[in-house]
Amino acid sequence: MAISLVKKNYLFGQGRKRWVPWLLLLPGFGLYLLIAVGPSLATAVYSFTDASGVRGAPVNWIGFENYDEFLFRGLASRDNLAALQRTLIFMVVVTTVQFGLGLVLALLLNQKLRGRTFFRTLFFIPVILGVVIQGLMWQLFLYPAGGPVAEVFGWFGIQSEFLGGAPTEAFIWVMVVQIWANVGITMMIFLAGMQTIDETLYEAARIDGAGGWNLFKNITWPQLTPAINTNFLLNVIGSLQAWQLFLVLIGYRPGTQVLGYLVFAEGFGQTTGSVSAAFRQGYAAAASIVLFFLVLVLGMSANWIVQRRERKYLG
Amino acid sequence: MTIPRDDAPEMIVPALDAEPPVVERVGKGFPWGKVISYVVLSLFALLYLAPLFMLVNASFKPLSEFFRDPIGLASGINFDNYTKAWELANFPRYLLNSAIYTAIATAVFVFTTLFVAFPISRGIIKGGGAILTLYVVALFLPPALIPQFQLILNLGLYNTRVGYIMLFLVNAIGMIIVVNYIKSIPKELDESAAVDGCGYFRFVWSIVLPLIRPAIATVTVLHAIGIWNELILPTIYLTNSDLYPITRGLIVFQGQYGSDWPALASAVLMLMLPMLVLFMFLQRYIIGGLTSGAVKG
Repeated sequence: MAISLVKKNYLFGQGRKRWVPWLLLLPGFGLYLLIAVGPSLATAVYSFTDASGVRGAPVNWIGFENYDEFLFRGLASRDNLAALQRTLIFMVVVTTVQFGLGLVLALLLNQKLRGRTFFRTLFFIPVILGVVIQGLMWQLFLYPAGGPVAEVFGWFGIQSEFLGGAPTEAFIWVMVVQIWANVGITMMIFLAGMQTIDETLYEAARIDGAGGWNLFKNITWPQLTPAINTNFLLNVIGSLQAWQLFLVLIGYRPGTQVLGYLVFAEGFGQTTGSVSAAFRQGYAAAASIVLFFLVLVLGMSANWIVQRRERKYLG
Repeated sequence: MTIPRDDAPEMIVPALDAEPPVVERVGKGFPWGKVISYVVLSLFALLYLAPLFMLVNASFKPLSEFFRDPIGLASGINFDNYTKAWELANFPRYLLNSAIYTAIATAVFVFTTLFVAFPISRGIIKGGGAILTLYVVALFLPPALIPQFQLILNLGLYNTRVGYIMLFLVNAIGMIIVVNYIKSIPKELDESAAVDGCGYFRFVWSIVLPLIRPAIATVTVLHAIGIWNELILPTIYLTNSDLYPITRGLIVFQGQYGSDWPALASAVLMLMLPMLVLFMFLQRYIIGGLTSGAVKG
């Protein structure tokens, strides 16, 4: 064989047998290119076309038309920019609260407490249940006509329609459910990080008379750097892309959508997928590229903050 | 957890003798820290237990009772709502669909992943590094949603089982986990197997695979949970209700019987129970997989 396909250190046979690893690799790698990488790159191409959701319909190149329309034209663009703003608010609130709450829970559950396994499991469970069960549970919990939360709010004289109320109100409740559902992952990552911290560091510091806050500031926080980085990045990127709970909890309501939901609604209709010429997939592709750049820019900024922190603590 | 604490006191004991440390004094007083911890944790736990309790409680109530008093304790335990939901929600069919999609897609994914991960991890093929880079970079590429749809549509696989399963055959994070794990298998093993005349396929399949079982278990469980819980893709790709997985079926059921919360609550609970049981058995793998990036960073 003229071309060698495997490196010299390949041990399993000579001649034609050296094709074997490649032949076995091909199905997996081919599928990956076909289903993931190819379509991912093609999103950029589609964003310059007027593709619809109909098989065989002509697709025309229309340049920056979609972007122009999405960002700058008429009432719709104002709605889009509002959705962009909402996506950012969602990201900031969810990231901050989920990160903070996850850290507090992890600190509490890293102590030797009776029943800590129970608490850890309890807070983590929503993660594996998925958005449908999370959403339906909270729709019932927030049942406006005499449900538990309505009852408690009633004691304080607060009236609320919850998910069916004003857009801002519904939006806030979606953030609550989003945090409730995912704080378990953040907590678990913090806990995994805390368990790698050398216990003798604390013992030595205690002998020097260091108390709770000092222990946290000078040992836990710097030693926790990898977990902090992971959580920060996961939360920023995850919350920018999260929108499924909006679908389950409130549907496509004006004044509540975030960018991810917008892409879905433009590309596939607002509630259900049935092939239709009304689907503006080129336009939706442009919207998803806008979202992609948002994730890229904010993700890179988050990464930059994280790197700087790491240099500060780990040298 | 794994830090050996036994030898630590030896270093510290002399210091303890010299001066009574702060730890001692705090330890003897009333454990305020623990009490506060329990209060905070219990309040937070309420946020998790109360929705669950509401669900169970509502599922036992006849509809009229639920409307009259949504939060009072159910007057009795009866399973009428469960039988009703089981029949109305078309549960058996949706569950079977979900099981088929999850099992086939996960099996194909794990099998193909093994044979991509091994040669990359061992560095025995040319361009292996570039392939691995492609898997890492893809985590940051734009969403594939729209062109993926066009692909499936133009292949004529829209609204078919095959088309739907195709969407779940790859998982870049799972691949990276397996690649990293294979690095912990000693290379000497390859040599001795090759000397004994073992073929490539047989070596990877019957010697490497059993050795990397923890990593395989982790990616299997994570991938399967992802497919099982997926809501968006069935909404996009499946319009024939005979093909719906359980997630989509539940949302459709809610659309039809949205005000019948007792039936809906029963449906949710019936779907939740197997997930909870599975979680109890597999939580080591699930949590291990999700937190794997935390330690190394």
